[in-house]
Amino acid sequence: MRVIVIEDDADAAAFVKGVLNEAGHAVDVCGDGKSGLNKARTGDYDALVVDRMLPGMDGLKLLKSYRDGGGRAPALFLSALGEVDHRVEGLQAGGDDYLVKPYAPSELVARVEALGRRATGDIPTTKLAVGGLEMDLLARTVNRDGQKIDLQPREFRLLEFLMRHAGQVVTRTMLLEKVWDYHFDPQTNVIDVHVSRLRGKIDKDFARPLLHTVRGAGYRLEA
Amino acid sequence: MKIGRLPALVRTTTFRLALLHASIFILFTASLLAYLYYETAGHLGRQAEVELNAEFGELSAAYRGGGLDRLKQAVTERREARGKFFYLLQDGSGQKIEGDFDVLPAPAPVGQVVNVEFAYDARTIQGQPSRRSAEGRISRLSEGGVLMVAYDVGDLGEMNQRITDVVWRSAAVGFVLSLIGGVVISRSAAQRAEQLAKTTEGVMGGDLTRRAPVFGSGDEFDRLSEQLNAMLAKLERLVISSRSAGDSIAHDLRSPLTRLRNRLEAGLRDTDKDGARAALVRSIDDVDSVLDTFNAILRLSRVQAGATGSFRRTNVTDITNELAELYQPVCEEKRLAFNYLPHGELFVLADRDLVAQAMSNLMDNAVKYTPEGGAIRLEVRRGLNGDVDLTVADSGPGIPPQDRERAIERFVRLEQSRSQPGSGLGLSLAAAVAEAHAGKLILADGGGPPARPGLSATLRLPAA
Repeated sequence: MRVIVIEDDADAAAFVKGVLNEAGHAVDVCGDGKSGLNKARTGDYDALVVDRMLPGMDGLKLLKSYRDGGGRAPALFLSALGEVDHRVEGLQAGGDDYLVKPYAPSELVARVEALGRRATGDIPTTKLAVGGLEMDLLARTVNRDGQKIDLQPREFRLLEFLMRHAGQVVTRTMLLEKVWDYHFDPQTNVIDVHVSRLRGKIDKDFARPLLHTVRGAGYRLEA
Repeated sequence: MKIGRLPALVRTTTFRLALLHASIFILFTASLLAYLYYETAGHLGRQAEVELNAEFGELSAAYRGGGLDRLKQAVTERREARGKFFYLLQDGSGQKIEGDFDVLPAPAPVGQVVNVEFAYDARTIQGQPSRRSAEGRISRLSEGGVLMVAYDVGDLGEMNQRITDVVWRSAAVGFVLSLIGGVVISRSAAQRAEQLAKTTEGVMGGDLTRRAPVFGSGDEFDRLSEQLNAMLAKLERLVISSRSAGDSIAHDLRSPLTRLRNRLEAGLRDTDKDGARAALVRSIDDVDSVLDTFNAILRLSRVQAGATGSFRRTNVTDITNELAELYQPVCEEKRLAFNYLPHGELFVLADRDLVAQAMSNLMDNAVKYTPEGGAIRLEVRRGLNGDVDLTVADSGPGIPPQDRERAIERFVRLEQSRSQPGSGLGLSLAAAVAEAHAGKLILADGGGPPARPGLSATLRLPAA
């Protein structure tokens, strides 16, 4: 992926660049809002990573101008302001995701990669498939190798999210946010337990596991 | 005109209140005395005036009807009747025609009428000479004569004088009393204010245990003192908790940081690549726990400052349904009997995310502290006064009653839980969320046996 990072703090920008480079993405860095906006408009990027507080033009305004100018690349806000109100502001300004500082590098990579997938998968789908696992979004049914799997509504949503991001790491926080719509981290391992239950249903009777645990990061559904 | 700075005495509340009090009192006394005078001495004077008018009117009528002769006849008749009036009738040249006096006490007026006060000599019944005072009216007649009608002021004057004296003396005494009263009253008010000032001064000086005196009279100063004391109590609690928060932060962050350092050190020395890698992975967990603590501190501060939350009319059962679903598997995993008791639709004005987080903290604690084989109950019901109670009860060790208040304070982790993971902010955050919703967090016995009473934590929110 080609990513532009618009962040005025040079250390933070270098860190983001390093983390994303390591994950195999090409990164351009821009230190202020105005030139960042120009660069984002003219360059062909797959994703934008925008700090909310920028000199010259703040992140919200920058993204609004970018969207008004027809820019379609998905954007992730980075911010020290982490309340739900701030997230809502970010999403209203045209952001696709919102990551609160401080964050783990794995979280950043997972979220940026999730953005890239979203951009390419704009066409509404009715069926998802990973390996022999198939999900029918209209009939709300799941099969693996032709065998029907019964899921609770929440398990269905959890699996849907994992399948939409197949091959990518999804973090516990991402699952909490996107599947449960919670913006806090419970102290107990609630997500792990839910994932392991789901794993019991989709992997238990099959030779090859699809749902993998990525240590220190989260989970990945992969054929 | 420029007004200079008033002297210190004048600027005190005591002085101003005393002055105000005195002014009001004097105004009141003056009006009272004026009324008293008007109704007594004034009334006597007015009555004499009315009678004099009537007498004069009758004599004038006689004069108009039959001229000087008829007037003289009328005066003679009246003198013989020995009424309260004295008379003097003179002709145009000033010669006495008829009357009790020989001369006028004052020159006859050029115009029509003049009122005079004068003294005359008379004899008492015992024949003693005495000087008496009188009031009268002198009128020039149209044909050149002069008529005077007068009456002896005598007893009336004495009465008048006495009333006037009483009024003035009362005024003087009243003035002095009002000044004293003003000083006394305002001194007591000023003293209470002074006590409040002393208290705050002491607190600012660093003595947080100072409290303003409350006398139990329930007056404004008592209420003010009570409010001030409540504020000081809260302030003291906050200061103490932030003092211990400093220690706790150090403790909470030092242990994972020390662990982290040791692990990195060991990883560095580990020549085995996988061993070094494992050390790094575990180190990341340690860093995450430090970051979690920081995030929790930040979030708690924001909630406590009331700086977050979008409050909407929300059915709390929707929130608890999701939580029950989220925690059910964890409870099963830990072999805890999980009992969810919802209660239909119950609406509160709430921020979903905050309430969910508070309840999630309570559930986390229950799961963490309840040993395997125990039970957890999540219950929603309408409490007293229409409040909505969201309760998480467990069969764990519980919190002794004397420790419950402290358990809610920032960073306070009771001794027995120090070894457990967690930031020690869970209950504080739940309490802060409750406060942000104008509700409160109530900790109580879980209802278990004395050895293991369990804990019941209730988030009580006002219904909407």
